[in-house]
Amino acid sequence: MTLPIISTKGVRAYPPRMSDFTKLFWDALAAGRFQTTRCNACNRPSFPPKPICPHCWSESVSWVDLTGKGRLYSATTIHAGPAVFAADLPYRVGIVDLDEGLRLATRVLDATELDQPVELVVLNHEDGPLYAVRGIPA
Amino acid sequence: MTRSNNVAILGGAATPVGKLQGVSEDGTQQLEHEVLGKLIVEALADAGLEKEDVGSMIFTLPRPYTQQKYFATFMANYMRLPCDGLVMEVLGNGMTPALTFQVAVDQVRLGRTKVALALGINFETGTPAREHMMSSMRATGDVDFHTPFGFTPISWYAMDAVRYIHEHGSSREELAMVAVKNRRHAALNPLAQFRKPMTLEDVLAQRPIVDPLGLYEVPGRGDGAVCLVIAEEEVARKTGRPYARIRGEGFYHEGAHQISEVPNDMIAFAAARRAGAKAFADAGVSAGDLDLAEIYAPCTIVEVLVAEALGLCPRGQGARQAASGETALGGRIPICTSGGLLSRGHPAYVTALYSYYELLEQLRHRGGERQVKGAELGLACTELGNYNAAMVHVLEAAA
Repeated sequence: MTLPIISTKGVRAYPPRMSDFTKLFWDALAAGRFQTTRCNACNRPSFPPKPICPHCWSESVSWVDLTGKGRLYSATTIHAGPAVFAADLPYRVGIVDLDEGLRLATRVLDATELDQPVELVVLNHEDGPLYAVRGIPA
Repeated sequence: MTRSNNVAILGGAATPVGKLQGVSEDGTQQLEHEVLGKLIVEALADAGLEKEDVGSMIFTLPRPYTQQKYFATFMANYMRLPCDGLVMEVLGNGMTPALTFQVAVDQVRLGRTKVALALGINFETGTPAREHMMSSMRATGDVDFHTPFGFTPISWYAMDAVRYIHEHGSSREELAMVAVKNRRHAALNPLAQFRKPMTLEDVLAQRPIVDPLGLYEVPGRGDGAVCLVIAEEEVARKTGRPYARIRGEGFYHEGAHQISEVPNDMIAFAAARRAGAKAFADAGVSAGDLDLAEIYAPCTIVEVLVAEALGLCPRGQGARQAASGETALGGRIPICTSGGLLSRGHPAYVTALYSYYELLEQLRHRGGERQVKGAELGLACTELGNYNAAMVHVLEAAA
C-alpha cells in the first residue's frame, strides 16, 4: 500500500509542526505510506493520528496503514487566500471520505467531481511532505 | 413561561457597522474605549437605568489589532464602575458575542447582579484581508492537518454549498437570492454597512472568492460596537418600558472541529438542529410560532442550512424558499431583517450582539420600515467553526 510520490519544488507554504508522536506519521508519509492510529480497545481508527482514542479515550493505540483510496465528499476552489498561500491562488481543496471510514480535508489536484473515487498522493517538498488527492478511474 | 428567575434584554445601543479603524490625514483616529463608552451611556439611557444599577460587565475580547490590552478592566476604570458581578472578556470564534451574552445572562440569573452589560467592540479593518486571514485560518481548522493546505474560514461554507447543490439540485442563483433578500432588508436598517440596492445579476457578476460563492455572497469586513443591558425581569418590569424576555436557550457542540473525522451528513448542521430543539423545548414553543429569526450566516448557504436545521424551512427547500420570498420581510418567516452578516455587516467578535439588538428592536416594535408587524417571538442562532457548535435563544416581547 504505497502512495504515489510526487517530488515538488520549493518548501511548504505553512509547514505542519511535528511532535515525537506525529513525526511517525510524517516520516511514513514521506516514504509513501499513509498511516494512522487505531484503538486497541474499541478498534476504531482515527485521523489525524492520536495517542488517545477520541471515541473511548483508551491510551492503547496501534499504527495501521490506510489504502489512501476514497471518494470526494465536497470541494471548492479558493480565489482569495491568506498571504502565505498567495502564490498558489487559485487552488482547489476538498473533503475526502476514505474507504476505511475516515474523513479528512486536503488539496485536490484536479477537477474530480463529487462522490467520485480519489487517491491520496504524497507531495515531497524540499523541506518535507504534504499529501493531496487526485481522481482515479471508477 | 413560569421560570422564577426570568432575564430580560432591557436596552441597547450600537454603532453603524463600517470602517471605523484607521488613522485620518490629521493624525487622529477613533479609539475603542471612546466609542464603547458612549454606547454604554446611551444603552443605559435606553434601558431607563442608572450607572449605579450596573453590577457586571461582560465584554467580547477585542481583536488583536486593538492596542489596549485587558480591555475589560481598562473600561471598568474608564467608566469608573465598581462591580460585584464579573468583569471579564470572552472569546469563542464567531460565537464570541453569543457566549458573552450568555455569561451576562447567567450573572443575572445566578443573582450576582440585577443588571449586567453584554458589550464589545470589534476593530479590524486597519488590517488587510490577506493578513487577517493568516490569523483566522488558524481558528477554523487543525493547524497541522488543515491549515497547511490553505483552507480559509469561508472555504468550509463553500464546500457546504457545493454539497448542497449536489444533493438537492438547488441552483447557485437560488442561493444568491439570500444575498439579494438580505440587502433589501439592510437598505431599511440604519446600522447596516451595505445598504445600496442590488439585483441577482449584480451578485452573480462579482469576482469569485470561494466557488461557487462570489464577493457579495461572503461577508465583507467591518468594525462595530454594541452594548446591551441585561436585567432581572423584575427590574425591567419596574421601568415600565418594553423589553425582550429570554424565553428559551439551547447550546450544543458536536465534538468536531470543521469536519467530523467520522463521515457524517455535514450539511445537516446537527449542532443547530440540537441547540434549536433544546431552545424550543425550553421556551415551550415550536419553529412555526416564531415571527422572525436572526441567523448567524457568514455566507448565503449558511442561512439556508440553519433555516433547515431549525425547522424554519423543509430540508432541501431553504434556498428555493429564500428565492421565492418566504424568508423575506413580509414573507412567512422573515430571516435576518437586520440585513444579516452579508449586508448589515460582520464585525465578527460583536456580530451576534447586533443580532440580539435587532431582535430587541423588533420585539419593542422599533424596527421602523423593516418592522415585522406584531412581532412577539424571535430567535437568534449563532455558531462557530462550520456550525460545529450552535447557540440558540428564543426571545419574547414583554412590557
